[in-house]
Amino acid sequence: MLEIKSITKTFNPGTPNEVRALQGVDLTIDEGSFVIVIGTNGSGKSTLLNAVAGTFLVDTGTIRLAGNEVTRWPEHRRATLIGRVFQNPFSGTAPHMSIAENLALAARRGHRRGLGWALRTDVTSDMQERVRRLGMSLESRLDNAIGSLSGGQRQALTLLMATWLKPQLLLLDEHTAALDPKSADQVIRISEEIIARDQLTTLLVTHSMQQAVNLGDRLIMMHRGRILHDLHGAEKRRLRVDDLLARFEEVRRGELLDETAAQMLQRMYV
Amino acid sequence: MTLLVGAWTIGLILSLLALGVFISFRIFDFPDITTEGSITTGAALTATLLARGVNPVLATATGFCGGALAGMATGVLHTKFHINSLLAGILVMTALYSVNLHIMGKSNVPLLSETTLATYAEHLGTGVTGGATSLNVFGWEVGTRDAAVLILIFLVIALVGGALYVFFRTNLGTAMRATGDNAQMIRALGVNVSNMTIIGLALANGLVALSGALLAQYQGFADVQMGIGMVVWGLASVIIGEALIGTQALGLTIIGAVMGSVLFRLLVAIALRAGLDPNDLKLITAIFVFVALILPNLLGSLKKSTGSVGHA
Repeated sequence: MLEIKSITKTFNPGTPNEVRALQGVDLTIDEGSFVIVIGTNGSGKSTLLNAVAGTFLVDTGTIRLAGNEVTRWPEHRRATLIGRVFQNPFSGTAPHMSIAENLALAARRGHRRGLGWALRTDVTSDMQERVRRLGMSLESRLDNAIGSLSGGQRQALTLLMATWLKPQLLLLDEHTAALDPKSADQVIRISEEIIARDQLTTLLVTHSMQQAVNLGDRLIMMHRGRILHDLHGAEKRRLRVDDLLARFEEVRRGELLDETAAQMLQRMYV
Repeated sequence: MTLLVGAWTIGLILSLLALGVFISFRIFDFPDITTEGSITTGAALTATLLARGVNPVLATATGFCGGALAGMATGVLHTKFHINSLLAGILVMTALYSVNLHIMGKSNVPLLSETTLATYAEHLGTGVTGGATSLNVFGWEVGTRDAAVLILIFLVIALVGGALYVFFRTNLGTAMRATGDNAQMIRALGVNVSNMTIIGLALANGLVALSGALLAQYQGFADVQMGIGMVVWGLASVIIGEALIGTQALGLTIIGAVMGSVLFRLLVAIALRAGLDPNDLKLITAIFVFVALILPNLLGSLKKSTGSVGHA
């Protein structure tokens, strides 16, 4: 389904702000797999998602998605295959347009947009039903501007929009990180429902250890632009929050060791 | 009364300019200076073609297309070559000055005896009234030609406004509105944001040029200087429209822009009649837009400061 082969990305190359965000990532994801991506700050997990989505083009390596070589495709073309939910609830919806218009825009993801009426009845007919299933009582407010809604409601709608037409791949980039705990739970529940119902191939980036343990059938831990751990099947199912924390601690110790070793070498030789 | 009818007519003609500015500034959030050049391009193309005896409808349509091309040029500079939106507009506007001079061959093209859309309106008017040169409207004397032109312009504006409303509710039109509202979102839904911006600017400048084409036919000449200050003029109309009618619904904002343009022109006509020096007009327009831009924030902070006084 998704085949990533040794991709690298360096931001601001040759400047003091040089960031080697991806340093050779290989990843193959099977159809219908729900993969959790965790990692420390700056580990490259969001960069990995953006590389797949086409926010930027990778320096080296290839990305194949659903039988297409998409490495050089611009973002809007990849969107024909990919549904996305961003971390910022403001990013996924057009605030000055109504809920119905936003959904109608999503209903043509990857299709030609001509001079047909946007809110045609064949699009709007099942809108109420699908919005009702979110359980946020928004079905009676389809004509309201999305800007008047809360972050949680907007994120739930973005999720609905990203999956309105079944995507080959769903990318969720810390999509509950900016929400209050109650809304976050609600959005996670909706995400689980939709992913299970449509058997969507999904990549979910998260900071929440709880989400990382409870969700998905595979877990990837990234560090410094590389994949450090890759847990499948029974190993993933057995995983507990404490195990994850232990692995993070291990990474931290590794870093400390690196630093002290460097200092020691400096004392001895400089 | 003649003054009033004239102000109404010019206000309606310039409402096409206001609609163009509304599309670029409000829908695309793109401060498009091309406007100053494209309104003249529309006037220059139409006047030159009319002077050569071309059919007025065809000449006016050509004016629209000329403006649309100018808008596309700005769009391409901005999206494909990543030039700042203001600078892209300034570059095209500057280039258009020479282009407009080349189109006209001189700095001013008069339309004295040529057949224009205004002539059509006049024929229609005298035909309906049976040859009378003036009409009695609620006790006022109004020239048949003036009344006929006003009605024709009104119909054109109604048609254009309605077409715009319908267009912005289609799949393509909603994608354009979303491009201005949240580019990241619409890109993630598979829309090529660059293309949307280029088409949108073409449409906006096409309308601006159409406004210039009609203005040239109404006032009887095209002049290479006629575009100066038109961006601010259009912006003032849009702001007045928003103050009159709000920004809630798409249809209302379109009507608001037209109403704003007419009202602004009426205010200017009255001010000029009352003895305002025409040389001060652009200065006052600029100050008006400045005040209208800062007023909401100013009122907001005033409210806040009085609120905190209340707490203390």
